[in-house]
Amino acid sequence: MKKFRIVWLVSLVLMLVVLSACGQRASSNTGGSSPSASAGSSGSAETAASGASANPVSVATSTSAKADEILHRNPNAKIASVSIHITNNLLALGITPAGSVVGGDVKDFLPLVKDRLQGVARFGVVTDPDMEAILALKPDVIFIDETYSGKDVAKFEQIAPTISIDMDEGTWRDHLTAVAEHAGREQQAQAFIQSYDAKAEKVGKLIRAELGENAKVMTIRSTAKELRVMGMKRPVGPIMYDDLDLRPAAGVEKIAKAYEVISQEVLPDFDADAIFVIISKGSEAQSNYDALRANPLWAGLKAVKNGHVYLLDGQTWLDYSSIGQDLALDDADKLFSRT
Amino acid sequence: MRERNVGSRSGKAVAACAILTVVALAVILVGLNTGTLRLSPAEVGRTLFGYGPADGSIALFEYRMPRIFVTVLAGIGLGTAGAVLQGVSRNALADPGILGLYAGAAFGLIAFVSFFRTMEGPAALLIPLFTFAGGIVIAVIVFALSYDRYRGLLPIRLILVGIAVEAGFSAVTLFLSLRLDENTYAFAARWLAGSVWGRDWINAWALLPWIAVLVPYVYSRSRTLDVLAIGDDRATGLGIAVTRHRIALLAAAVALSCASVSMAGGIGFIGLISPHIARKLAGPIHRHFLPVSGLTGMVILVTADTIGRSVFAPNAIPAGVVVAALGAPFFLYLLLRHKT
Repeated sequence: MKKFRIVWLVSLVLMLVVLSACGQRASSNTGGSSPSASAGSSGSAETAASGASANPVSVATSTSAKADEILHRNPNAKIASVSIHITNNLLALGITPAGSVVGGDVKDFLPLVKDRLQGVARFGVVTDPDMEAILALKPDVIFIDETYSGKDVAKFEQIAPTISIDMDEGTWRDHLTAVAEHAGREQQAQAFIQSYDAKAEKVGKLIRAELGENAKVMTIRSTAKELRVMGMKRPVGPIMYDDLDLRPAAGVEKIAKAYEVISQEVLPDFDADAIFVIISKGSEAQSNYDALRANPLWAGLKAVKNGHVYLLDGQTWLDYSSIGQDLALDDADKLFSRT
Repeated sequence: MRERNVGSRSGKAVAACAILTVVALAVILVGLNTGTLRLSPAEVGRTLFGYGPADGSIALFEYRMPRIFVTVLAGIGLGTAGAVLQGVSRNALADPGILGLYAGAAFGLIAFVSFFRTMEGPAALLIPLFTFAGGIVIAVIVFALSYDRYRGLLPIRLILVGIAVEAGFSAVTLFLSLRLDENTYAFAARWLAGSVWGRDWINAWALLPWIAVLVPYVYSRSRTLDVLAIGDDRATGLGIAVTRHRIALLAAAVALSCASVSMAGGIGFIGLISPHIARKLAGPIHRHFLPVSGLTGMVILVTADTIGRSVFAPNAIPAGVVVAALGAPFFLYLLLRHKT
């Protein structure tokens, strides 16, 4: 009897050892197949040097050089994109992928670009891509987002040479340039960015002409759960305060992240000359915004008194990709050309 | 007389096992043939023996097989654990959830996505580790709180304490999950709804030893389970060290469920209905219905996952949702049919 118990105890310990040993082996495996994966996600630039490009957001994989070669040789190569933002960047370069993941929210291609993706295979959402659908497409090259799929790079490489881009680092310009370098379309990327910058300058002037040269602005977002002030970081910060060259309202410059949740009472403290509003999808976000407008405090805001409240198209402004940001400029252009 | 009775029962159990095994094999075959990549059954067959197309063998050996393997193991684990828990606690409504195991696993998951997202390592193993630890932690708390110095572990106290601790953990989990952003929450919610998470061979290999060791152990104790089911006093009278056996069996059931849940997600219903279905098929003696319960759990989980990933492809629905949607009516049917 005693002996039996010892046997069970030993086997239990063995199981724990197996479990932890598996864990270690797997981590050293992923480390081995993509040596720069962990370093890349922590943001060091020099790790990408072994790849074909020196772009800081390009993460070298064991097959990325081969993928580049395929893309440079054959402009019509079949591309599978496992990131909605990479899909957008490909479209901006005039490349239509043969298949792409879909937006997690809408469970479909993003409305902005849906008409340009007719007949393109759907892979499900990026957090749970349908590997068999990718396999069935028989792509020549696969693009993945290091942030979501970096740990599974070996699985993708089994299907086709894989290019990984860290969409969490750098700006959308870096992402677009990185995709362009891999695809041999640097000129298209440059042209896109130049036309974007020209547009941004024009629209920025338009806005400042309307609001005043030194007007301070803020962007708020009403969601089903809360009221947010969009900060200096992406998605909204860079386009607002760098590209359009607007001045952040008092306190916004301190929000060094995507957004901060605030209560309605502190809105006057920002003392903004103009307020941009993004309303999330769904009736609750809308009714929260309606409730905010019914609050007497809202009517007392400087921006409201002067009629400088503007509703933005969240689909474009929150889509931090080449196409999304470009369309956001068009949205602003429309808003301020009318007045 | 008694001998004959037992004999016919074990005959029934063997028949049930045989039928369930055939059904399970059929379901596994269907599962192997289910997927976005179109493969004819003939191609699947050829691929299995190494003569198929290259992409077919990737789909089969890298995507479908490990996932089916995980569902097979987790199904057996949950079915067996449910039977043990119902026997040990002498409560027909007991399942791994009653000890707060799902709440603990959910807590582990939410704690992971809230605080340890940036931890280096493969997500394929980190998440199971956290959910497993969460389940074990809550089980230890429940055990400690329901242990009476003089009377040992009391089943009724175990259940009440389990419910209370579960409520507390669920509250913390809910609070933490409210602070998550939409994408992370959607991911966590999918897991909580019982989406088969473990899809790689490594998940299957990590789960295998738990099932391979603990299921036979539990089975070897089926006589003890029978005695415990009659009641503490009589079990003590028969010379059984009630508390020690109860703790050992509970610990085995906890480990089985935690390991299964950590790979397959929070699929609660299986642990509850498998023992009931098994008892209807093979009678109340643990030696007979324990294996049937494990097999039933396996058939249910494999079927549910196959349905879940085929019906609305490519947007798979979690197996837990399928289990609840199809299992609940079937369970009610079984109960009502036997009432008359």
